[in-house]
Amino acid sequence: MKMELTISTDAIDEAALAKRREMGDGMGAVICFLGVVRGSEGDAPITAIDYEAHEQMARHQFGLIFDAIEKRWPVESVRLIHRIGVVPVNEPSLWVEVVAPHRPEAFDACQFLIDEMKKKVPIWKKPLSV
Amino acid sequence: MIIAVQFWSYFADFAGCKKTEIEIENGTTLAKLHERVCEQFPKLAEAKNSTLKAVGVNYQDDDFVLSDGDEVSFFPPVQGG
Repeated sequence: MKMELTISTDAIDEAALAKRREMGDGMGAVICFLGVVRGSEGDAPITAIDYEAHEQMARHQFGLIFDAIEKRWPVESVRLIHRIGVVPVNEPSLWVEVVAPHRPEAFDACQFLIDEMKKKVPIWKKPLSV
Repeated sequence: MIIAVQFWSYFADFAGCKKTEIEIENGTTLAKLHERVCEQFPKLAEAKNSTLKAVGVNYQDDDFVLSDGDEVSFFPPVQGG
């Protein structure tokens, strides 16, 4: 399974990512998920979220999750970008792409990846308001 | 031996620093170090039950025995995405 992980302060460029997509002939499903910063945290309006990561550990933990996906589903590739630093409202903080032969395993692997990330990958958010 | 300790997210605010060093005896467990940390930084004791603990890049249980050169991280529940 091909794995690509980026943790960066750069904005996520969906068009550029789509252009770089590589798929084998047997692949019939591509799931792309975007996690976008909402304009409120609880009841309070916010303007952005400041993301902090323990980057070395985050990379390791993402690697363990990718390994678990590889063992469980016939996924051809996973690409994931998580932004750190200040991400304004309406901009994506997370982009995930899973390429697999069929829809069920692509959806299941994508859901698993994000669920596990939210339990294990050391990234935190600090909501910012005006 | 000296153990490097890091605090992440709002735990750094609770502790008033992002890093510190703590001297421990051979055979000290992660739970014992956590107790020492909570004594030294009382605000962290308020979040003791929800604290996540890692040595290097891996989560470890309370009974993990620390070794010279270990880097220990204490942090609140993660919130990626």
